[in-house]
Amino acid sequence: MKRFMHVMAMGLIATMLMSSAALADTIKIGLQAPLTGKYASEGLDMKNLVEILAAKVNAEGGINGKQVEIIAEDDAFDPKTAALAAQRLVTSGVVAVIGTYGSAITEAAQDIYDEEDVIQIATGSTMVRLTEKGLANFFRTCPRDDSQGAAAAEVLKDRGYKRIAILHDNSSYAKGLADETLKRLDKDTVVFFDALNPGEQDYNTILTKIKGTNPDIIFFTGYFNEAGLLLRQKKEMKWDVPMMGGDATNNLDLVKIAGKDAAKGFFFVSPPGVTDLTSPFAIEVLDKYKTKYNVLPASIWSVFAGDAFLAITEAIRQTKSTDPEKLSDYLRNHLDEYPGLTGTIAFDEKGDRAGKFYRLSEVDANGAFVMLP
Amino acid sequence: MEEFFQQLTNGLAVGGIYALIALGYTMVYGVLKLINFAHGDLFTIGAFLGLTLLTSLGLTDHIGPIAGLVVLAVMVVVLVGVIGFLLERIAYRPLRTSPRLSAVVSALGASIFFQNAIMLIWGARPLVYPHGLLPNITIDIFGLELPLIRILMFLISVVLMCGLYYLTHKTRIGTAIRAAAIDQGAAKLMGIDVNRVISLVFMIGPALGGAAGVMVGLYYGQINFTMGWLYGLKAFTAAILGGIGNIPGAMLGGLLLGVVESLGAAYISIAWKDAISFLVLILILIVRPTGILGERVADKV
Repeated sequence: MKRFMHVMAMGLIATMLMSSAALADTIKIGLQAPLTGKYASEGLDMKNLVEILAAKVNAEGGINGKQVEIIAEDDAFDPKTAALAAQRLVTSGVVAVIGTYGSAITEAAQDIYDEEDVIQIATGSTMVRLTEKGLANFFRTCPRDDSQGAAAAEVLKDRGYKRIAILHDNSSYAKGLADETLKRLDKDTVVFFDALNPGEQDYNTILTKIKGTNPDIIFFTGYFNEAGLLLRQKKEMKWDVPMMGGDATNNLDLVKIAGKDAAKGFFFVSPPGVTDLTSPFAIEVLDKYKTKYNVLPASIWSVFAGDAFLAITEAIRQTKSTDPEKLSDYLRNHLDEYPGLTGTIAFDEKGDRAGKFYRLSEVDANGAFVMLP
Repeated sequence: MEEFFQQLTNGLAVGGIYALIALGYTMVYGVLKLINFAHGDLFTIGAFLGLTLLTSLGLTDHIGPIAGLVVLAVMVVVLVGVIGFLLERIAYRPLRTSPRLSAVVSALGASIFFQNAIMLIWGARPLVYPHGLLPNITIDIFGLELPLIRILMFLISVVLMCGLYYLTHKTRIGTAIRAAAIDQGAAKLMGIDVNRVISLVFMIGPALGGAAGVMVGLYYGQINFTMGWLYGLKAFTAAILGGIGNIPGAMLGGLLLGVVESLGAAYISIAWKDAISFLVLILILIVRPTGILGERVADKV
């Protein structure tokens, strides 16, 4: 029995030594993603992209001399599975976790990571309240639902519009965007705020009414269909006030409906699509992705996982530490304008994505969408 | 004041379309006491057929824009008339002696059938009429900027409506239609072929709807498979407003609804536009339950 205890103790010590040796050798970064289930394609894109980035870092000598190891766990786009995946990742000794796709899924895992002091950088979770809970270790690289309004308000202010007409369509998306924009604008500069009925075809009445308030810009927060009709009928009234849209107007059917002449000069704020990522770094990474998997990631959401990886590795590199407190402090207060895949990466005090992300696009004379620098 | 008149013309232009579609509802109701819920979808079919014929035949290239569009409109009117005829034969005639509710259910079914058929044939994405078919000329009338096309559209609607009024009130066929509307049994005894009258009504009503569809497509450019629902609802409202079953009533109701919508949106709230027009409908029905020009007591549908 004594001998047996001896062996046990030896075994235990050996295991501890080995695991600490493993810790010393690699930096483990977790990836929680829907690798099965109805959003498996998103999850697999996330995993593929993160693994390409990790291979790149490792080929360049790792971080502070250590190799990076990605540990992927499947959450199946299901909150219950997500909680189990989070438990497994926490016990496998990861420094930080990237993911996941889906706000409700992220929310199910959030507290588990926070209690165990593991940094979590969410990627496809736009629900506002995720970062309103004051969790010290939670970040996200995707925009949140109300950030488009902030971006739109900034554009309107930057361009110096003094008489702004805001038009939405009463859908929860378009009204939300209109409200968020209005909140951030100087009240004196908004001369018109109302909704049209989506699905109609004659918007002359609304345009005539807006014209009566003599605006210098119309901001329409609804969808491309109505935006196209508005542009067409505005042109017919021979009224040349500029018009701006939100990301729901990012659809080339808009130009078809409005006609090239009427659509020319229309501009909109929108997150970039995968094919809009034009920085040399993004092109290099996406090219590698394409060579390896024959296709590009299907959506921008998986690219945010790449940004999360870049942010966390940069934090480890700069702080020369894997202490969550130091990493969290670095991400929140010191990471600034770090070049990521979807734009520059920074986080605000709540852990939300700051930095330039929303982009302005304009319709050119040929009816194509051109992203403005 | 200028804005008021501008809005008034906006309302009349939309109202003209409502009136044209409302005629189809009111004629069918007048003769059969049936609300043809598929009528809005016949209007949509008109718009889509117009686009297909326009792009596939290239009429405007061969015989000039004006003649091309007239021929196009005639073709669409005939085709939609035929579809209306078939609709009556297949979906309504077998139910002629059944309880009224069966026919209403059949009408709703036909509407769903047409809407989905349009989606399957032409797709769910909005389609666009070619640009630049119609000249963009604006006419200045007393300081009002009026696009020529809107004036033409309104005039065509009025001409079609007047033509229909002439047909129903000054010709033998029209007398037969009105006779069948008053009393089908008595009309039969007087030697009127009621079945033929009903078939005719089901060709004229949809034909006018089809014409409205082509005009909407040509003017607004964008068409989609669900557009008939909203126009149908508005036109139905217009028919009730003017007194359903009454042809001048449908015209008046359509124009009035367009103007009320436009002025309501302009001076009260855009978002409340539909609520305002339905409020007006309710108020008018409280004062005159048969609609503005309606004489007969409306039966419950």
